Amino acid sequence: MSAPAGAPATSEELAPRLKRLIVGTLRLEGLDPESIGDDQLLFGEGLGLDSIDALELVVAIEQEFAVAIPEGKVDHDVFHSVRTLALWLAERIALRDSQRETTAP
Amino acid sequence: MRSVSAEVVVTGLGVLGAFGAGRRALLEGLRAGVPRLREVDRGAGFHRPGGARLAALADLSELGNLVPAALSRRMSPPARMAVAAMQLALRDAGLPEGTDHTSTGIVTGTAFGPAWVTEQLLRQILGQGPEQASPALFTESVASASAAQMAMMIRARGPNQTLTQREASDLLALGEAARWIRDGKAGRVLVGIVEESIPILHALLDRFQALARADRFGPERARPFDRHRNGFTAAEGAVVVVLESAAVAEARGAQPICRLLAHGAAFDPSASAHGWGNGAPPLARALRRFLDRNGVTPAGIDLIVSGASGSRLGDRLEALTLSAAWESRPLPPVVAPKGTTGEYGGGFLAAGLLAAAGERPGVTAGFGAVDPELGLAPWTGGELSPPRLTLLTALASGGAAAWTLVARPDRA
Amino acid sequence: MTAGEHRAGRTAGEAIAITGLGAVSGYGAGTAALWKGLASGTSAIGPFSRFEHARFRTQFASEAGEPAATAGPARSSIADRFALAAAREALAQAGLPSQLDDLSCGIYFGSSTGGMFESESYFADLLGEPRRASRIGRLTAQQTCSPGETVARAHGVRGPVQTVASACASATLAMGNALAALRAGDIDVAIAGGSDSLCRLTYAGFNSLRAVDPKACRPFRAEREGMSIGEGAAVLVLESAASASARGARVLGWLVGAGASCDAHHMTAPDPQGAGIARAVEAALADASLSADDIDFVNVHGTGTPHNDAAEANMLRAVFGERLSTLPLTSSKGAIGHYLGAAGAIEAVATMLCFLHGAVHPTPGEGAVDPAMNLDLVIGRPRPVPGARFALSTNLAFGGTNAAIILGSGQT
Repeated sequence: MSAPAGAPATSEELAPRLKRLIVGTLRLEGLDPESIGDDQLLFGEGLGLDSIDALELVVAIEQEFAVAIPEGKVDHDVFHSVRTLALWLAERIALRDSQRETTAP
Repeated sequence: MRSVSAEVVVTGLGVLGAFGAGRRALLEGLRAGVPRLREVDRGAGFHRPGGARLAALADLSELGNLVPAALSRRMSPPARMAVAAMQLALRDAGLPEGTDHTSTGIVTGTAFGPAWVTEQLLRQILGQGPEQASPALFTESVASASAAQMAMMIRARGPNQTLTQREASDLLALGEAARWIRDGKAGRVLVGIVEESIPILHALLDRFQALARADRFGPERARPFDRHRNGFTAAEGAVVVVLESAAVAEARGAQPICRLLAHGAAFDPSASAHGWGNGAPPLARALRRFLDRNGVTPAGIDLIVSGASGSRLGDRLEALTLSAAWESRPLPPVVAPKGTTGEYGGGFLAAGLLAAAGERPGVTAGFGAVDPELGLAPWTGGELSPPRLTLLTALASGGAAAWTLVARPDRA
Repeated sequence: MTAGEHRAGRTAGEAIAITGLGAVSGYGAGTAALWKGLASGTSAIGPFSRFEHARFRTQFASEAGEPAATAGPARSSIADRFALAAAREALAQAGLPSQLDDLSCGIYFGSSTGGMFESESYFADLLGEPRRASRIGRLTAQQTCSPGETVARAHGVRGPVQTVASACASATLAMGNALAALRAGDIDVAIAGGSDSLCRLTYAGFNSLRAVDPKACRPFRAEREGMSIGEGAAVLVLESAASASARGARVLGWLVGAGASCDAHHMTAPDPQGAGIARAVEAALADASLSADDIDFVNVHGTGTPHNDAAEANMLRAVFGERLSTLPLTSSKGAIGHYLGAAGAIEAVATMLCFLHGAVHPTPGEGAVDPAMNLDLVIGRPRPVPGARFALSTNLAFGGTNAAIILGSGQT
């Protein structure tokens, strides 16, 4: 399930995967993942997600991408749109991979 | 005597179950007297060999029409069924979308709560690890999730609670709701009874010897009061009843389906945790006291809609209690709809209210031969006038008991 | 006065006497231990050992442990035994016999998970890989209605028995139901309360919502981060004034009003303005024929989560206005955590203990009180409240269900 370590992940590559994850995890039946705009608001007026959806996504992202999302509240700046989420996730993956390299024998 | 305006009337009934959606479908099923049962999926291997295989699973083909997927994506299966039954009930009551439900109350009753959601959560937490617990599933795992989803759908902001008392949940929920109306806490209350069936729950009920199964006396089916009964049929579905004060109903020109006169409850402490005891005499005294307090004698009851389900010990306790309450005098006609509807999911409640409303009931499906120990022969058809006064009964495993007196809609 | 005369003399809105209190908490068995702990200002929240929790997001809870008088029927759950211990204490204080079958007595309980903790062992075996054979007996007490029923069976109760399963508002709602039944004369005595034990389902579930403080909760503090989960049970013996007087029972205090409402807003987030809970409070005041000015202190829901405390503070401001800055408030959850289905019961007992000791117990919790709220949270040590007559206790639950009760001092 987890992404292979060391695979470079740009935010552009992550965006479509995140869109599919959003539709699948949150059971947004009938919604074509590609129809979610990169800059569309995830909460409120945009896609209409709420705080529980955000928490579900956190669990799904942690599982799918093998990153740990730090303790504390789900950050609304990060979960603002697919673009902001993908940028943040790319950073987390790069951080994870660099930590693995420094601890590798 | 309580005033007429505080009287509680039923103005709408929504049914979703094995017979599909709507009270007409249920009524036809009851009159045909043939339960609609399907094989439970035993593929996961939870079931014991030779045990029960069938359940009265809900026909959910109308569910998508009643509750759009976009609105129900996070609802647990029971919440979805409850909301669907609510839509049917409100339609039945002539309360269109846009009705102001600010003061509408909601009471729900369930024996097992959201079983599928709970199973998934336990798989996550116990099987994969606590960090895998799904927040969305957890919020839907509470027994009161159905009541909350119903309230959100119609913005019902009145009192809201969920009761769980096994097979007495329906009549107890009805009783609390009716009390709110009598006490002026709400002018309208929706009573939702809901249960879902999942393979593991079915298998566990079977392991507790609760369910009917095939044996040398016949195929697997519930046989209330029958000499060879060996358990009940588990059912799934939802029933929502719209209760209003007579004044509120009259003000909007709604026709009552029936009138709720009184609600009583008692307990048999000799019951085991999952079974029935032998406390028929004290239960009978409690039933008589309930009737006395409401100015009713046994002779004044025209019809008994019994919660007998086919359970060996439960039906026995019910029969002995009625016999003792009637002081061994002949009972009025008795019907036990759970032979057709199964146990749980509100089918019994709907059947009881419809019978009290004057709809000709079905005979007790599955009953064939009188049990000499019980000496109770349910009504098998023939002459039956619409009852003026109907008694609904529920004796739950674990000891709870509940009764409801229902009068026909007109006050003649 | 005979029972019949008691009933005839009752009016709506009558105050109901509280004649017995019982509790099991993280401070130990009994109300004396509970008060000692509450008065100390040191919380009972810390490391716990009920189950392995290294992989959980947080590591603290308020564990009650096996109470001293722990005997319970075979296969009873710890939630059942908490309930038995609390009920035994309350009945003894009320001077009622251990066997209640001669009295018109009912049980009104709240719980959220019943015997789920014990059932989890069974499900871990059943749902694990590979599946292991497990003992079905572990499920005996699984149902949410089990604690209330266990008390009913142990004490020979024959009146109405019901369990409310409305998450965090359960026990408060149950007390409201008991109040109504007593006023209506359906019963002479009610055993009202609740019981819940720590279990993996709720511990992991609330953690999945990121709603749990990593250490001990800090209700109404500026730096609050979430709730702490607790376990235990509490019971109050309720009866009409006439019944208490006829028995020569000491009246410890009064249950004078109850109110309930639903936000119909969101499954977990409360209405941020606290409008729903405000309506429940207004309903309770009306039920008690009191105004907000009559309230001398408040036992708030006060879980310590950012949103819940903020919403509740808004409600308090809306209801009490300018008085809020000098109205003593306390959250028992800062001391013993959140008892979920039993929260309302333990908090009602805590409130009664405040009356009996003439002081409001402090709310433990690290950090300064949130200055934006401008409220008078009792911290550090008990605050004497001489002459206090009435207190409000509130509970807000999942799905927006709100409940409020008003208690009166025995000196009233």
